[in-house]
Amino acid sequence: MADSVVVRDLTKSYGSTTAVRGVSFTIGTGEIFGLLGPNGAGKTSTLECLIGLREPDGGEVSVAGLDARRSARKVKQKIGVALQSTALQDKITPREALRLFGSFYPLRAEPAELLARFALTDKADAAFDTLSGGQRQRLALALAFVNRPELVVLDEPTTGLDPQARRELHDEILRMKRDGTTVLLTTHDLAEAEQLCDRIAIMDRGRIVATGTPAELGARADRHPVVSLVTSRALDAAALAALAGVTEVRCEGVSASFRCADPTRTLAALLPLLVAHGAEIVELHVRATSLEEMFLELTRTAPLAENRL
Amino acid sequence: MNGLREHLSLSLRLHFRNTLALLYGYLFPLIFLVAFWVLYRHEKVPLLRHMGELLTVAVLGGACFGLPTTMVSERERGVWRRYRLTPMPTWLFVTSTVLARYLIVLSAGVLQLSVALAVGMTFPAHPFDLWVAFTLVAFAFIGLGLVIATMADNVPAVQALGQCIFLPMLIIGGVAVQLASLPGWAQRLSAYFPGRYAVEAIQGAVTGGGLAAHGFSLLALALIGVAGCYAGAKLFRWDGAQRFRSRGGKFWLVPAVAAWLAVGLMADWRTRTVAEAEAPFAVVAPAVGAPPWMKIMAKDVAALNFRLPSDGGVVSPYAAADDEATDYTREEVESVRRELPAWKPGLTGDDLQRVRALLCVAAVPDAIQLPVERYLPAVVLQHLEDTYPKDKLIKILTYIVLHPDDGTVVDTIEGLGVQGTAGDPWVVRERSYLYALKFILRVTGRVPR
Repeated sequence: MADSVVVRDLTKSYGSTTAVRGVSFTIGTGEIFGLLGPNGAGKTSTLECLIGLREPDGGEVSVAGLDARRSARKVKQKIGVALQSTALQDKITPREALRLFGSFYPLRAEPAELLARFALTDKADAAFDTLSGGQRQRLALALAFVNRPELVVLDEPTTGLDPQARRELHDEILRMKRDGTTVLLTTHDLAEAEQLCDRIAIMDRGRIVATGTPAELGARADRHPVVSLVTSRALDAAALAALAGVTEVRCEGVSASFRCADPTRTLAALLPLLVAHGAEIVELHVRATSLEEMFLELTRTAPLAENRL
Repeated sequence: MNGLREHLSLSLRLHFRNTLALLYGYLFPLIFLVAFWVLYRHEKVPLLRHMGELLTVAVLGGACFGLPTTMVSERERGVWRRYRLTPMPTWLFVTSTVLARYLIVLSAGVLQLSVALAVGMTFPAHPFDLWVAFTLVAFAFIGLGLVIATMADNVPAVQALGQCIFLPMLIIGGVAVQLASLPGWAQRLSAYFPGRYAVEAIQGAVTGGGLAAHGFSLLALALIGVAGCYAGAKLFRWDGAQRFRSRGGKFWLVPAVAAWLAVGLMADWRTRTVAEAEAPFAVVAPAVGAPPWMKIMAKDVAALNFRLPSDGGVVSPYAAADDEATDYTREEVESVRRELPAWKPGLTGDDLQRVRALLCVAAVPDAIQLPVERYLPAVVLQHLEDTYPKDKLIKILTYIVLHPDDGTVVDTIEGLGVQGTAGDPWVVRERSYLYALKFILRVTGRVPR
């Protein structure tokens, strides 16, 4: 799979504050790539350097084989962007917005086609200030497709959407992948990233601290699976901790959780303990380390030794 | 060019869907027009002498408030960030925005002109010159609007910055208050504001001899416009959060401020040079043969139209007998009373010209709305009655009413100890005409003293 986006040693500073410190990653054609990180990690600065909103201080950015710094206008013709904070004029209609933004590109999609694709035909001539949050987000996506882009950049696209609109948007993003469009996505929502992204890069303090598929990142964590259970009677924490290979025991009323290296053996030892205590199992879950745990582990540990944005 | 056309067309359509923009852009200039129409309702041709002020107010509102409000509001919403993601260059969006604003203020100007014509104003003397002057005025103020748009972080800041420019321009910049009624220091200061040149250029095209006599005003407007557009382009921000590129970034304001200063200094220098070259007073030679006022008959006096503004109003006020001058104005009244018998214009030329000049002693303070204005007519009338027999005075005053454009008028009475210059001889003639009628009413006993 050829790389649609190549970013190498990207750096960006604002005065004495360094926002991006030598970031490198690649995105293959047709891939959905997620950029994750806490606030101030440098995601937005990285994204803005890539889409031409900011001039990087150093490094290379190439999109569809074109140097984004030297051929900025050509690169912009190949990128479609839906920014999180972009609104439009109150009285503009979706049809007018699509016609206007389409007029800026030599290759463009017809407004009617985009209105139909993003379920906005009924609202084609409604003023922007009368659209719901979901309709506005769909319009932002439609605008990102107005130039038939090779790369679509979505900056936290589901923020503020209700569950229904969120689900529709997820379906649309997966459709982009089926159509062969490359997608770069930033999000705070780890479940969303896990569900949508082929690969993920986790950023913290201007650097990429981990890259891989959601499964790879979860597996990379050097942590044991978690067993959590709810019983009919409260259990004794000391008794649980005495079981072979059990660590990090937490008991709160009838709920308890712990980590163990070998869940099968530990559960075999747990059952006689429950019988001895006269407790019955109400709920029992065993799960591997999640992406969220991996994310928190990577981004919470180090002290704030350097400036953050 | 397709992008430019679409953006221009959409900007205009969105303007006409914005109720507030319509109120500011069209209704407010019309309110000014109606106010001027009511205030100066006794002028022979309604509004003709005020189109410079009215059209300037229309452009000033549209360019210094409308343009930056639209730009900053769109920038706050992120619309301009979105534009920046497209392959179109910055100049395309700025050009389209400026063009749209020019068409908007032009339409507001045409509306004002149409309403003025509908209420009886005569057609402007030089329509093409008027369009040229209006375009240069729009260019100068749109440049200013661009600077405000780049300086303001949000819409309330636009209002604050805009008012800082709008109000001084209205009050001491010669836009809403006539320059002649301002004290000397304010008149000098007004030379540093583009509003003064805007009014002069437009008024010159409406009632004067066209733009030929207003080269300096056009030059001043062009210079201020170029400097504003240049500074606006250098300070341009796509994003409200984007600060100026460096600490020195705001120094791009220097060209804009420098243009205002340069124009003011040039005007100051020019005024002094011209003043030194001009004679202080043109002496009028006495007429030969029988004086024309002798032909005035009683029926001519009876046929006069005595529909006059109220003595207590803004135009041609006349203090009642029990209205004594205040401490502030008493000194001026006494100075005029003392100096009037030896005042040179009142002693130069034939009787007709002398009376005409003496009428100006009442007319000039009225034209420039000095606090002393309502007290001087009685002083002038007393001097006239002391100087001329009643019948002769009535005939001379009647002749002046019937021939308001004859002879010459004076535009200053500084020789009598009252500061201020009327500037526009048309106003002085008009007010002299009104006071001549008011004097006739009093001399003939139709109005009690």
